[in-house]
Amino acid sequence: MGIRIENLAVAYAGMRVIDGLSLDVEPGSFFTLLGPSGCGKTTLLRAIAGFIPAETGRVFFGGTDVTRLPAHLRDIGMVFQDYALFPDKTVFDNVAYGLRARKRPEDEIRKRVDAALERVGLEKFHARHPAALSGGQRQRVALVRALVIKPKVLLMDEPLSNLDAKMRVQVRETIITMQREVGITTVFVTHDQEEALAMSDRIGVMRSGKLEQVGTPADIYRNPATGYVADFVGGANLIDVEVDAISTGRVTARLAGNAVAAWAPASMNKGRAVLIARPEDIALAPANGMGVAARVVGRQFLGANTSYRLALADGRSLGVDLHGDRHDAYALNADVSLRFDPAKTLVLAS
Amino acid sequence: MTRSGHGGAIWLWLSAAALAVLSVVVVWPILTVLSGSFGSGGATGWAKVAADPKYATAIINTVILGAVVAATSTAIGVPLAYFTARFDFRGKALVSVLPLVTLVVPEVISAQTWIMLIGNNGFITRQLQAIGIQLPSFYGWPGLITVMTLTYYTYVYIGTLAAIRGFDHQLEEAARSLGTSPFESRLRVMLPVVLPAVLASGVLVFTLVAGNFATATILGSRVPLLSVLTYQAAVAEGGSDPIMQSTLATISIGLVMIMLFLQRWIVARGRFEIVQGRGAPPGRLGGLAGALTGLAAATIVALSLMPLASIVIGAFTAARGPVMRWGDWTLAHMERLFLIAPDPIINSLLYSASATVIGIVFSTLASYLIVKKRNLLTPVLDYLTALPLALSGTIIGIGLVLTFNTGFFAITGTASIIVLAYIVRRLPFGIRNASSTLYNVPNSIEEASISLGVPPLRSFVNVVLPLMVPAIAAAAVLTWTTTVAELSASIIVYSGGRETMPIQIYRLIDSNLMALASAHGLVLVTAILVPIIVATRVFRIDLFASRS
Repeated sequence: MGIRIENLAVAYAGMRVIDGLSLDVEPGSFFTLLGPSGCGKTTLLRAIAGFIPAETGRVFFGGTDVTRLPAHLRDIGMVFQDYALFPDKTVFDNVAYGLRARKRPEDEIRKRVDAALERVGLEKFHARHPAALSGGQRQRVALVRALVIKPKVLLMDEPLSNLDAKMRVQVRETIITMQREVGITTVFVTHDQEEALAMSDRIGVMRSGKLEQVGTPADIYRNPATGYVADFVGGANLIDVEVDAISTGRVTARLAGNAVAAWAPASMNKGRAVLIARPEDIALAPANGMGVAARVVGRQFLGANTSYRLALADGRSLGVDLHGDRHDAYALNADVSLRFDPAKTLVLAS
Repeated sequence: MTRSGHGGAIWLWLSAAALAVLSVVVVWPILTVLSGSFGSGGATGWAKVAADPKYATAIINTVILGAVVAATSTAIGVPLAYFTARFDFRGKALVSVLPLVTLVVPEVISAQTWIMLIGNNGFITRQLQAIGIQLPSFYGWPGLITVMTLTYYTYVYIGTLAAIRGFDHQLEEAARSLGTSPFESRLRVMLPVVLPAVLASGVLVFTLVAGNFATATILGSRVPLLSVLTYQAAVAEGGSDPIMQSTLATISIGLVMIMLFLQRWIVARGRFEIVQGRGAPPGRLGGLAGALTGLAAATIVALSLMPLASIVIGAFTAARGPVMRWGDWTLAHMERLFLIAPDPIINSLLYSASATVIGIVFSTLASYLIVKKRNLLTPVLDYLTALPLALSGTIIGIGLVLTFNTGFFAITGTASIIVLAYIVRRLPFGIRNASSTLYNVPNSIEEASISLGVPPLRSFVNVVLPLMVPAIAAAAVLTWTTTVAELSASIIVYSGGRETMPIQIYRLIDSNLMALASAHGLVLVTAILVPIIVATRVFRIDLFASRS
């Protein structure tokens, strides 16, 4: 069952947090709302859940308008950032809670809860209280509790942010496998671009209450619609340039007196623009008079990569990542030449 | 803003209902008191107050007494808290019973004890007289200051202890690493952080002293005090004086308001965020210093607990009229209490039980609305439930009697008004108890329940209420113990035949019948102690979890 949002506006604490947002989530797909804190992604999720009323606009589950339906009647499964397990109830009772609310017979509840707990390897923990579980176990209970009621949609609010890095990857895999298995339409909220890229069928990048771009992970990464998306997903250098030649998707931009070849959307015009280059897509060479001249002003060894900070002659700075085995290729204050990969360098209107 | 989203209307209606109740039982009585001072025609209360120098003297005396007792309470409470928080010494375990003492020993009983010992007819007074030593009179200033200090220093102790324990010990270490001596570090880093708590509890003691009428009447004799004059105006023989009692009550309210604003100002100025306070490991005080500290602490605790010993002895000591025959034991007083005149006991238990049930239900609901279901009305609700804090028991009593004398809700003279007085006095504390737990219950728990298909009201009952049970139980025990010992409001509103135990004790002390008063005191303390013991020992409830 798909989710359709039409022209939604939501106010929170007297402020318009979401203003005229529309979105379609394909049935059975995993959709991620990605954005920094305060961008409105959690508010949007809570509006889909029915915890915050819509000021205007409509929300559909499948073909049904649920805009005026209270949360408890929307048939959603929700996973919360802080797990929100009932601390006074056992793991079993937590998972059985939604089924009991639906007045299922007790033996059916037992079967379904047992099966669900076994599915995530928690069958031995059914009599424990949440306080006696690890973070990862709690999150799996929360996931199972939401899924066991066979909801129409699954909504997850930063479910991995309270876990340590290793556990995060593990639970991430559990979530994806179960979502595929059940084939349930899922909306997942996160501020972690790696999580979003790894898990989603499609991603919606949010910024101040609006969707900046919606697309597949590869699409968002390779063809960012704006500099903001490029920088938020994967990280990018955003450099002001002057476009002086255009020919069907190819442009030549002028940067510090040098011509840089890049590609651009068809609507590109001459004049001021922003050059977008990811740190790993810029090549360095010892100063040779070709390419853009720069100077090494900082260097951090990060294991797999070494991150260089460079200053252009006019003082602007940008970052370049080199493979880790070249961590000492350039010394501080060394003069270098930059070469932008024309296939991976993008110019957008500023 | 409705965080609950859909289905929020029910909470708005409940808020409106709670607000309506508070308007009738809190706001209306206060307005009656405030407006009553102007009377209708003739001289206003203010003219009389201005004309008779007795009233000016009473106001000045009240301020002096409040300030002196606040100072002496601080002088005892702060060192005791400091040594308890920072050191281990012999007999330290004794000190931990102190927070309970404030609950267990009703103030009327501590006043009684001192009279039994060194009053005109007291045990020690008589012994000394027998060997030719005449004690100076205990009545008046010496008695007022001694007894009130011993009644109220625990408030300073509790407040200061919480502040010292919450103080991040690492700050002190930081100061030492920056080159100040241990003593200087403590003085320069800890003192500024703890001082607001000390001053705030000093202000609290001042307001309690200003509102105290029982000790003041029993021991005050020729020292005119505002609380005593107010009480006398309310219960004067041959008809009370509504204009005068309103005027005096208004002055008291003004005095307390000034102090509460002072307190707010102090607390607001001193609100430093202590990030992750790490208490210091207590140091060991051995040798002479340890022995002296232990002795001092033990003396203070012994003086605080002395009333308990004295009522146990008094309750079983034979007496002829006011004369105690020390050493002659009897069960006659107990017999009289339970078999001949058990009404005060029955009344007390009945009224307190009713007040506890109604009060707890109301404060649980109100604090849920205030904390979890904020809407337009809840800030007002929050404010109104705290309002009785500014009112002494006497004033609440006067307000209720004057307001519910006539009209559609004429309950003056019934048992209901006593129960109502209990509820109103206890309201701010009940709300505070319940809200402190609610702040720790994340909203997501309730939303999780709703997302699983349970409607909002039932979600509250299913998942939030069970988490509140320990706090509700603690609040119920505290409400019970404080209402069963309540005197200053109930003595204004009660009518013949509806005496409670504290009222009976007060009247017996007034008639100098100490043995019978002790017997009542013993039953009263038992009624207080048994629920506390059952709650803490059997059900393992932490009564003070929500304090500090």
